Formats: sequence, structure tokens, C-alpha cells
Amino acid sequence: MDISARQKIIDDLLPQRFGRKGKIWVASLLIICVIGSIAYVRQLSEGLIVTSMRDYASWGIYISNFVFFVAISLVGSLITAVLRLSNVKWSTPLTRIAEIIAVSAITFASIIIVVDMGRPDRFYNLFLHGRLQSPIIWDVIVITTYFFISLLLLYFPLLPDFTIMLSSGKGSGSRLKKLYAFLGSFWKNTAQQKKISRRSVHILSITIIPVAFAIHTVTSWLFATTYRPGWDSTNFGAYFISGAFLVGAGAVLVAMYVFREAYKLERYITINNFDRMGKIVVMLALIYLYFNVNEFLVPAFKMKKTDADHLLGLFTGEYSRIFWFAISTSMFLPILILINRKGRRPFPAFVAGALVVVGSWFKRYLIVTPTLLHPFLPMRDVPESYRHYFPSWEEWAIAIGSLAGFLLIITIFARIFPIIPIQETITETEQDEKH
Amino acid sequence: MRNIKIALLAGISFFFTEASFCQGTTKASLILNLGYYNDNNQMQYLKAATKTKVNGKFKFVGGVPVSFYISSEGPANLIGKAITNEKGQASLLILPIAKDEWNKSSRQTFLAVSDSSRLFDAVKTSVDLSKSRIKIDTAEDKKIVATLLELKDSLWVPVKGVDMKLAVKRLGGDLNVNETPTYTTDSLGMVNADFKLLNLPGDSLGNLILIAKVEDNDVYGNLTTEKTVPWGTVARYQAPFNERSLFARRGWSPLWLEWMAYSIIIAVWFVLLYLFIQIRKIIRLGN
Repeated sequence: MDISARQKIIDDLLPQRFGRKGKIWVASLLIICVIGSIAYVRQLSEGLIVTSMRDYASWGIYISNFVFFVAISLVGSLITAVLRLSNVKWSTPLTRIAEIIAVSAITFASIIIVVDMGRPDRFYNLFLHGRLQSPIIWDVIVITTYFFISLLLLYFPLLPDFTIMLSSGKGSGSRLKKLYAFLGSFWKNTAQQKKISRRSVHILSITIIPVAFAIHTVTSWLFATTYRPGWDSTNFGAYFISGAFLVGAGAVLVAMYVFREAYKLERYITINNFDRMGKIVVMLALIYLYFNVNEFLVPAFKMKKTDADHLLGLFTGEYSRIFWFAISTSMFLPILILINRKGRRPFPAFVAGALVVVGSWFKRYLIVTPTLLHPFLPMRDVPESYRHYFPSWEEWAIAIGSLAGFLLIITIFARIFPIIPIQETITETEQDEKH
Repeated sequence: MRNIKIALLAGISFFFTEASFCQGTTKASLILNLGYYNDNNQMQYLKAATKTKVNGKFKFVGGVPVSFYISSEGPANLIGKAITNEKGQASLLILPIAKDEWNKSSRQTFLAVSDSSRLFDAVKTSVDLSKSRIKIDTAEDKKIVATLLELKDSLWVPVKGVDMKLAVKRLGGDLNVNETPTYTTDSLGMVNADFKLLNLPGDSLGNLILIAKVEDNDVYGNLTTEKTVPWGTVARYQAPFNERSLFARRGWSPLWLEWMAYSIIIAVWFVLLYLFIQIRKIIRLGN
């Protein structure tokens, strides 16, 4: 590869300063985060009474958000690990997008679970007095582990890029240079360093797969180990993992389109990437649809009395609109859009990805709350507000604030670091030219 | 019969209270019931119950002071005072100060009077009873014989035609000794029953407590008698508190779970540690 072609790739992929739209975007996210923080301060001072959660619906949109974040974080293992180990080259431009989505999502999964606690100042008791038999402890352990693995998987491929950024002198001020120097000035691109890095990424790619499966299986067991209509299922682990891969892949489609448009990366995130990613989303949506059929049709066929209220509430009752919206937007519509070659072009694929993400959020809400409002023993002698759940403004503000925080981390990351691996892109281009 | 009278009185009192309410008073009517209890021929007590009607439904009234009298209302016959709880009930043991009055006759009258308050007028009710007791015996082949006796002219005489239950005392209630729910005393005041509860867990010695009871009888009140019999199976309670299980407390998880969980955690974190060492190696190579 000649120097000009190499320099072109570097210039294209170096982090860029925010334009006007970028600044408005960041300001909007910051404002939403501040509103969420104000609501949380209010929740801290007044207690969980400011939420709409009561004795029955003790898990609301915080836990829905938690499950959503955990689900979306799984994309790191899909794109980075599974495709990397399968020696799939087309996914190289997507690996860093997937990894930062994973890191950001798992960070906010940890934050939102603390938000759900009535006394976060007692959080340390979870470590001091936690029971090893409880899936909650398994979740704490596995989330922490997954966070570090994702962070390492993000860091190792970044090492060669630090040297490139330090030597480029474009798009970054002295503070960022200091950061790059701190994080990667020691990278000299020696054969031994490359060998260690390659081997480490390989080990991480293998390690992250069982941990990623564990993180979402354990999250599903938080529900499945509780004997309740809608949760009492042996199918839950696989059902959650398939849904998590789907929402993660949908999020990657959205991020691909946004970064492609914002940073003019058409040469790197190509129509081919959308085409292949779209096919993966179709496959994942079909798998998730299969698990949904298992999850709802089988109990509906038997219609046990204890399940009937819950299921009828979803199919035709008070949750039917959300239920069919979630099923349509997270599975049927994306399949219909992406099954067609034209539907796998960037914009339609972006729409399909956005539908998957939105539908999946509501799907998590439907997994958590309706079950809690259909206990085995009928609700008696309780205030009317205990029988229904609609989040208070504080809950909305905190939940939306956490989503904004999730996007903010990705945005800031893309401002500081190259969102597409520079060195890997150069290496692969060189290899392609040789062939 | 006595209960019917009380109900009639309560109804009349309720009617007049309602009528007076219509004439502009704000006080609601209070219904006061009184019962006599004799447990195991040893502990005798009175129980008053208060309730009122709110929007067509009966509701317990707590916090009502009730005075209990023997024979007739008056300071000399006052046995004691009690205040109804949240279930509208107030109980009072018949104290030794009532002994002289109690011994005067084989029949006795007790009265309960609720004080007038801001919400309710004073209400009075009474219960008449004949002094009686139950004797419980057992025979071979796990047969139970219970006899109801009444005190007449200083003599205990059998009582015929009274419904009696024979049961085993359990934690949450009484379990009938066989499929017959109640028996009626014969001319000898006796009921006979076969104990058919095989393999019923007893205490650590296999003992069960048989119980014979007369409930809400207009003449005799509420009587119970108990007898301990070795007819149960020996219950050996083994506390699982110090056993490792999935539902045990912290630090008592099953060893297989600990072994599995810690192995996985150590293996994964060993890999992470190895990778951190690799980063150190890369740094050293660069420097």
C-alpha cells in the first residue's frame, strides 16, 4: 500500500471534532442526563415512594432498562468474538462500534440496578453479606467480569491506533494527546508486541463468549428461579440470549448508519456491511420469534388458570397494545424490511435496527411488569394504585436519563477514539491488495 | 335462646339508635355480645365482642371500655374492666374476688356493660349459664369417652342431648378424631368415639392432645377439656439451619455449588489476570 492511500485511511478514520449537529446532540444528551440526575436526587431524598412501584409491581422500568442494557451489551461478543473467531473480515469496521456499545451498556446496567435500590448506601452489603445461592450475586459477579473483558477487548485493538493518533497531530488537542500517550505511547508496533496483542485478543474472544452467555442467562434466572406466571420457564435462558443478540445487532445497525452519516465513512462502513448485518438481524429475529412462540404459544395452548390472566392480559387485555407493538417492531417488521435486498440498504436497515431496539425495550417491560401484577394469590384489600403500574415522572426521567447517558458514552468515545480500527483497516487493505 | 334474646335486644337497641340518629343525634349503635368460656375445667373467662354497622356491613369496634359483672350490675359485683382490641374483643379472667358470688348458686349470670362514649351510647348485655364441666377418658383400642356433667344441688349430674366435638389439638386448629364432626350426649351424658387418625405426628414422645368441646351452648357456654394420649407417632424435628442447602443462609451454600462457582470465577479471573500481565509485558517491550 502506498503512503498516500495509508494516509487517506488515517485521515478518514481519525476522531473528528463535533460539528454543530454534534454539539446540539451532546448538549441534548447532557440536559436529559441532568434532568435524570435531579429526579434521582429527589428519589434519594424522598425514597422509592416517588416511583409508582408498590408491593406488587416492585420491579418497574428500572429493571426493564437493566435487562435491556444487559441484552444490548451482548453484541460485543457477537460481533467481536463470534465473527472474529469465525475469521469473518467484513465485520472489522464494526468491532469497535460493537465493543463500545457493550461497554457503555454494561456500565449503565450496573448504574440502573443501583438506582432501583431503595438504600444504595447499603450496596456494599451485597458483597459483604451476599449469598452464593442467589442469582443476584451471580449477576453482580458476571456483570463485573463482563465489564472488564469488554474493556480489555476494546483496549487491545486500540493500542496500534494510539501510536497513529499520537503521530498524526490532527483532530485532537494537547489533553487528548496526553491521554493517548498515557494509554498507548509504549506501543512500538514490534513483532513481539503484535504477537502478544493478537494472542490476547484471541483469548479474550474465546473467554467473552461463555461469559456473555452467562451474563444473560443469569439475568434470565433472576426471573426464572421465581415461581410466577410468565417467568416459570425452563426456556428463559435461551429466550433471553436470543433476544439479546437481536437487540444488540439492531443497535449495531443503528450505530453503523449514524456513524457512517455523521463521519462520512461510506468507504469503510459499506453497503455490503449493511447487507450482511441485515441478514444476521433477520436470522436472529427468526430465532427470537421461535423462542417467543415457545414462550407464549405452549402455555397458551394449556391455558392453566394461573397463567390465563397473565397471557390474556398480554394477548387481548390491558397490555395487548404494547405486546403486539413489541412483537411487530422487534421481529415481524424488521424481518419484512430486511428479508429484501433493497431493505438491507443503509437507510431501511437503519429503520429496521431502530424498530428492533424500540420494540425490544418494550419487550423487556412486558417481561418484567405484567407478571408482577398477576400474582398467584389474588390481590385483596390493597389500594387501587397497587393494582396497576405506570411509571412516575421521576422514573421516566431516570430511565430516559440512563439511555441518554448510554448514548453519551458512545458519542464521547467516538469523539476521542477512532470508531473504526485504523491499523486493522490498513492491515486488511494491504492483505486484500496482496491477494 | 339466650342469644336470640340478646340479638333481639341488640336489634331493638339498633332500631332506637337509628331512630334517634334520624332525629339529629350523631351516635351510631353498638352491638355488644358476651360469652362464657371454661378451658380444661380450670380457666374460666368472659369474652365480650363489639361491632357496629357501617354502610350496611358489620365492622369490629376497638377501644371500647367494657365492665364485667357477676349476678347483677353494681360496684360490689364488678369483676373487672377491659378494652376491646382491633378485632372488637375484650377478655377477662373470672377473678377470685367473684368466688363468693359464684358459689352461691349452680346457675350464674354475667353482665357486660360498655361505657357511653362520643361515638356510642352505653350498651348492656348478659349471659346466663349453668355450671358444668366435661370429663374425658380413654379406653382400649383407642376409644374415647367424654361426659358432660352439670352441677345441680351440689351434685354433678349427666346432661343429655348436648352437641359435643371430639378432636385432636393441632397447631392451626382442631382435627376431628374421625369422620363424625359432632356427637350428641346420651342419657348418661356421654359420647363415645373411635380414634381413627393413624400415624398422626405427635410431639417428641408421640403424645397427642385430645380435646372435647361444647361450643356456643345457650345453657353451658363454651367448655373444653383436654387429655394427653400417646397415640401419635414420634416426631423428630431436625432443624436444617446448620445444613448446607440452596435455601440456607449466607456461607451455607452446597459444597458442589461453591466448588463450581469458585472454580469458574477463579478460572475466568485468572485469564483476566494473565491478560493484565500481557499488557504489562507490552508496556515493558515498548519502553
